[in-house]
Amino acid sequence: MENHQTGSPEYVIEMIHITKEFPGIIANDDITLQLKKGEIHALLGENGAGKSTLMSVLFGLYQPEKGEIRKNGQVVRISSPNDATALNIGMVHQHFKLIDVFTVLDNIILGAEDTKCGFLSRKAAREKVKALSEKYGLKVDLDAKIEDITVGMQQRVEILKMLYRDNDILIFDEPTAVLTPQEIDELMQIMKNLAAEGKSILFISHKLNEIMEVSDRITVLRKGKYIGTVNSCDTNKQDLSNMMVGRPVQLVVDKKEATPGEVVLDVSHFTVPGRIHHRNAVNDVSFQVREGEIVCIAGIDGNGQTDFIYGLTGLERVSGGKAVLCGQDITRQSVKKRGSNMSHIPEDRHKHGLVLDFTLEQNMVLQNFLEPEFQKGQFIRFGAVREYANKLINQFDVRSGQGAVTRVRSMSGGNQQKAIVARELDRDKKLIIAVQPTRGLDVGAIEYIHKQLVQQRDSGKAVLLVSLELEEVMSLSDRILVMYEGEIVGEFNPKETNVQELGLYMTGAKRQQRREGR
Amino acid sequence: MKKDSFFQKDGVKTLLASLISILIGMLSGVVVIIIVGIFNESISAGGIWDGIRLVFLGIFNKARDAATGTLMFGFNPTYMGNMLFRAMPLILTGLSVAIAYKTGLFNIGAPGQYLAGTCATLFLALSIPTSSVPAWLVWLIAFLGGMLAGALWGCIPGLLKSLLNINEVIACIMTNWLSASLVTWFFDMSSLKNVLEGTKTGYIYKTSMVINDVIVDGVQTVAGSSIPEGATVLATRGGVATSKMGLDILFKGSQVNGGFIVAVLLAILFYVIMEKTTLGYQLKACGSNRFAAKYAGIQDRRNIVLSMALAGAMAGAAGSLYSLSGNTEFFWTTYQSLPAVGFTGIAVALLAMNNPIGVIFSGIFMSYLNINGQQLTNLTAYNEYITDVIIAVIVYLSAFSLIVKTWLNHKRKKKTVSPAGGAAAHKEEVQG
Repeated sequence: MENHQTGSPEYVIEMIHITKEFPGIIANDDITLQLKKGEIHALLGENGAGKSTLMSVLFGLYQPEKGEIRKNGQVVRISSPNDATALNIGMVHQHFKLIDVFTVLDNIILGAEDTKCGFLSRKAAREKVKALSEKYGLKVDLDAKIEDITVGMQQRVEILKMLYRDNDILIFDEPTAVLTPQEIDELMQIMKNLAAEGKSILFISHKLNEIMEVSDRITVLRKGKYIGTVNSCDTNKQDLSNMMVGRPVQLVVDKKEATPGEVVLDVSHFTVPGRIHHRNAVNDVSFQVREGEIVCIAGIDGNGQTDFIYGLTGLERVSGGKAVLCGQDITRQSVKKRGSNMSHIPEDRHKHGLVLDFTLEQNMVLQNFLEPEFQKGQFIRFGAVREYANKLINQFDVRSGQGAVTRVRSMSGGNQQKAIVARELDRDKKLIIAVQPTRGLDVGAIEYIHKQLVQQRDSGKAVLLVSLELEEVMSLSDRILVMYEGEIVGEFNPKETNVQELGLYMTGAKRQQRREGR
Repeated sequence: MKKDSFFQKDGVKTLLASLISILIGMLSGVVVIIIVGIFNESISAGGIWDGIRLVFLGIFNKARDAATGTLMFGFNPTYMGNMLFRAMPLILTGLSVAIAYKTGLFNIGAPGQYLAGTCATLFLALSIPTSSVPAWLVWLIAFLGGMLAGALWGCIPGLLKSLLNINEVIACIMTNWLSASLVTWFFDMSSLKNVLEGTKTGYIYKTSMVINDVIVDGVQTVAGSSIPEGATVLATRGGVATSKMGLDILFKGSQVNGGFIVAVLLAILFYVIMEKTTLGYQLKACGSNRFAAKYAGIQDRRNIVLSMALAGAMAGAAGSLYSLSGNTEFFWTTYQSLPAVGFTGIAVALLAMNNPIGVIFSGIFMSYLNINGQQLTNLTAYNEYITDVIIAVIVYLSAFSLIVKTWLNHKRKKKTVSPAGGAAAHKEEVQG
């Protein structure tokens, strides 16, 4: 390993022996990160590995207990984001910090406005932004409002914001989470352009494909500790994920050929009204899910998948069509009744999946506390609940501070999700609806949940998966339906398609003529 | 898994936090007493000292020594009993607010529900003839009727919330005033107004009073407890009061009666419902995360109405038991003001952190301050508003007690910093 005691001008930013503690936790334990000029340096780690904390230290949001930060070999103190900006450090946050009703230009100059006699002068700014966007291939419409442009363009606005402030150290915090495959490709190209122009980039991610494609060097963190820094050309995805998780990880979902049986769910002409706009959120959707297969609804977020699942599970009212589950028309049934044949891993685990202020055991029986197993004459059988919760905790390896009596709020996202998966899969229902079951989870947890879903499929369950991650869609599903603006625009066999083709359908560039009655 | 020591238990910390709030509140009261004492010429240094002692120990006061004029302290059964008597409606309105809060609703409608309960109880207790129905049965009907009226009144904001998603606070405030005006109107039309006791107008008969409906010279009139000569008694009403249940022997000369025991039993009942039954589980799930409850097939709309009905029933019971104690009078022209006991319920629930058992103690504590304030007014140049200041400070601090609790939590965490396995938990905290 390199000697990082001496500040070498080779590095534009050095974070040396950084230790950041929070009450009860050491979020960063003696971490060293060195960024060369003009390189794309990826910071890789599972959720809770300390990536965001480390970047917050660099951006001045947190003060480290130990360690120092150097810029071009000089020790600097960064005690607020203003200090970071002064040192030309810029950050694109995972959730964009843009004002929806302002134009692109106004958002870019916000906080660094030129004024003339107290009046805003946009002219010079417009020229500068135009020049920047041409130089780096960042296509934006300067006069469009943020609320009217795509997520990809919003991200380009964020990048322009950094460039406008002459930042030369750019931090990207999980930038691809919200993008389509095409937009991801564009972003990768933009990042390469930026690096070629001498900008230094720190790129936080847990997606191995992107990291391998774009980065020059990779630093891996695990549980707050520094694991190592490697050159991208000297490593591969398998080694990286092993470093990240600390054990060998199976990256490809291992599954046998599907053997679809009886139809479990038959949805026909399903229509759900929109909550905000007048047009339908879901329009005339028809398909079937059979036992022993995983059917996936793919699509860009906000194209009606959420509303469709709400309608199917009874959380929202349906305005037309019908859904038949195990031979029963469930279109107008209560949530409780539908629950007798379906289990549902919800999209938003904090909103729907868990009562965060309840204990783990209370959450484990959220769906079935009225079963005679858990109550006698309306009195909860606490012993039975505890026993059941402990069974699930062991079986699904749900980790928490105090076991069954832990407040769910204090658990990590991955373990919260595992608790939901445990609860829903153990209910042993014919249809399993899993909406983004691995969102925000790390490789280890994803591997585990994928295995569970395949296992359920093999035991004859029908699985309806909704996912935004194309990699997950491709590897897990037996049949893919693409949803665009509330309609199914294509049906694919994952073996006969690829990510690029799906991307075209997801963005509405192409659509299939589907046969009626499917 | 390590077993927590006594001081690290969640419940103990909650209790400690409440006690710290109380202590700070009382000390602020002392500061106010001293400041007022210094600037008020009629209060001497001794007067200040008397004031401080009365704020803390007014309930143990046994009046001034006739010869020396110094305060004497000791067990005073009358004040002690009165404290419990006044605690009774406070416990129930506190319970009302706490129940609704557990389901995520803020029941600021307790005063209106209290009035609804009072109204129904007085009508039933004073209209059913005790000459044909046994008095205990009339008592029971009046009590249940009062609870029912409160429950129905609580249902209104509950229904508005669950069906039309109208904020319950606004609906509660409006139903409060509706209730006050309706009650006034009902009593204005009724024959229950006490005009027989000479100067006393505008009051409703006490439930313990015996009223005779008589015919004198062929004309039907309402006579009080005394029957005019030559009159024929048609029916007898009233004479209904809560049993003392032996509490009058324990606390001689006080107003306390079995209503206090009923209130405590109701608090315990709600503790059991909330903590041990599936109903409580559902209510709490709705309160804590309405969306997750709906997702799990729990009928969130039904539970909101049910919770408000139960809350209303408790506030109704407070009004009911207060009027059924027999010696309390109800001034029926209420439209200018709402009963303070309903609003104090909010403070009682806050101080108890919405724990039904805690409500028993915080209710007693509020009434203890009330009695002390009364002593302060009677025996010194101070007025009882000092205790209002103390109560106000405590109410502010009981919201603050959550911060105190977090601080207590923090102290513990610092002692046990664990390097391993914490990073994941931390991420949640930061994001949250």
